[in-house]
Amino acid sequence: MIEIRNLSKTFKLSRKRRKEEGASGTDGFVKAVDDVSFQCRPGRVFTLLGPNGAGKTTILRMIATLMKPTSGTIEVDGFDTLQSPREVRAKIGFLTGSTNLYARLTPNEVIKYYADLHGMEPSRFRQRKEELFELLDMNSFADRRIGKLSSGMKQKVSIVRTIIHDPAVVIFDEPTTGLDVITSRSIINLIRRCTSDGRTVIFSTHIMSEVSMLSDDLAILHEGRLLYCNTWSTFREGMIEASLEEEFIRTLKGDKS
Amino acid sequence: MKTIITVFRKELKDSLRDRRTVITMVILPLLMFPVLIGLTSRFVTSYEEQAQEKTLTIGLSEGVGAEGFSAGLEDADNLSVITGLSLDAATEMVIADSLDAYLLFHEEFARQVEELGQGEVTIYSKQTEERAIEAGRIFDLLDEYEVELRELRFTGLGIDPDAYHVISISTENLATGKEQLAEMVGGILPYMFILFCFLGCMYPAIDLAAGEKERGTLETLLTSPVIRTRILIGKFGVVVLTGISSATISLIGLYLGVRYVSAIPAAFIDMIMTILEPGSIVLLLTLLLPLTIFFASLQLTISFFAKSYKEAQSMIGPLYPVIIVPAFLGMMPGMKLTAATALVPILNVSLATKSIIAGQSDPGIMVLVYISLIVYASIGLFFCGKTFGRESAIFR
Repeated sequence: MIEIRNLSKTFKLSRKRRKEEGASGTDGFVKAVDDVSFQCRPGRVFTLLGPNGAGKTTILRMIATLMKPTSGTIEVDGFDTLQSPREVRAKIGFLTGSTNLYARLTPNEVIKYYADLHGMEPSRFRQRKEELFELLDMNSFADRRIGKLSSGMKQKVSIVRTIIHDPAVVIFDEPTTGLDVITSRSIINLIRRCTSDGRTVIFSTHIMSEVSMLSDDLAILHEGRLLYCNTWSTFREGMIEASLEEEFIRTLKGDKS
Repeated sequence: MKTIITVFRKELKDSLRDRRTVITMVILPLLMFPVLIGLTSRFVTSYEEQAQEKTLTIGLSEGVGAEGFSAGLEDADNLSVITGLSLDAATEMVIADSLDAYLLFHEEFARQVEELGQGEVTIYSKQTEERAIEAGRIFDLLDEYEVELRELRFTGLGIDPDAYHVISISTENLATGKEQLAEMVGGILPYMFILFCFLGCMYPAIDLAAGEKERGTLETLLTSPVIRTRILIGKFGVVVLTGISSATISLIGLYLGVRYVSAIPAAFIDMIMTILEPGSIVLLLTLLLPLTIFFASLQLTISFFAKSYKEAQSMIGPLYPVIIVPAFLGMMPGMKLTAATALVPILNVSLATKSIIAGQSDPGIMVLVYISLIVYASIGLFFCGKTFGRESAIFR
């Protein structure tokens, strides 16, 4: 469960950006997230949809305690991200599209490393690793250096790394960016499997097909503000345009007007 | 502590599988001294042998003095004498390298000597550093001729030729082997150790901070339930370990170079071995450890701030001159470890190492060196921790 209340995040612009935007009256600051509130429930996929720069990654980073909110609160499974960041991090698994792995280590070594960081008991780790390696058919390359694996194999390692500690909340930040169709499908399958296990899943994307395939709940973000937040079925029923893409653009345009 | 060890072990394993780290941490320091010592000693030995064995071609002017000198050269080895040369012809030959030297005996040379004066001889040659040994051989020949003439003169005057020496001078060098060594290599050794500490830290520092940022692995690492300081300590430990290992391996390289490069004189080997005693090594390492912590913190701070591996490299690159200048200053003759120089980072290590090699370290000044190094290392660590904790640096 993730509970977000009145979340805002302001960044100080770099000197170069301040010069560039001096005339536009930003006062040297930019609001990446502006008073956003929503709730992600267990067993459901919550999708953050928005164009580049909408604030999706910033929200996910704040949930993962990588960034601190300027104002507002975030609770993950009852733990506040500011007051109990370690407890929050123990509850989450985090996977981004830009994430890579340690090329000079083997899948076995990487998975063991993250399990150790999460303080997993050796017997629990062995059992969990065996399950996941079996499930994703990873045993044949478990001792090969990651740098020598194919992108599909690497993605499988990333998936196991994300969920090895059995997190209650899984965060996916544009996880299929730059991946081929087959590898993207393995991510989609993982997201589905996570919800069937009763986990809370929050997932950001700008790919419309993924929204329709996965979403239980949907939030549309634009320039840091929440334009829409409801269940996916409600959104679909209320669509005026024929396609999701058109409807998304209409929502953004409505915000502009 | 367990998580620090987990991070440390993983980072060490990762770094040791990085070819660049292994080259700068192990191969370069291990080979540097043997190669340097081997090449230098071989070059010097072969240069000396060549200069001694070379057949010198000497031109002599006309006259009795030259004839007398030339008569004594008949049995000399590796010598070819051309007599009766004019100055103009000889000068051209010297310039054209067909003559090594021309000795112009004064036309009144015989009379000057006979009248108890000084016979004048002028040497025309190319007086360069590379021909110093050849010049020495010519002076030796003239010295022998002078001794011969002096004996004739003293005998003619009824004086014992040995009476010429009023004072008999002999010298005893009371400088210890360590002092002589400090004089010879006291500057270059600390320079090398400092350089290896810096280089040893560099690639792991870049890879474990900027490299992780660029690969996107830092973000996932920071979402693990580990206190950031522990992650930093684990990474920091590896960077310090590689830096200090690099310096230690260079000491092993020095030992191997001295022990197994045959062209080195035995006396020099004995002198070098005195600094490879356990006591000296421990003292050296205690100096290099805080310096390495300082280097590691400096490089990690920059690396955490940099956006990419490449940017970190270009930001750390300009540090080279900053490191090299004080290390180089320590090589200057007359530069001593004082209360003031003990406070200058890098220079203090260079001078303190020099004084350790010479076996002349002043405990009071050494304490100052340690205190200043610990202060600089702490400042470096503080900024490193600050940068690692700043989200604007991590997500730059």
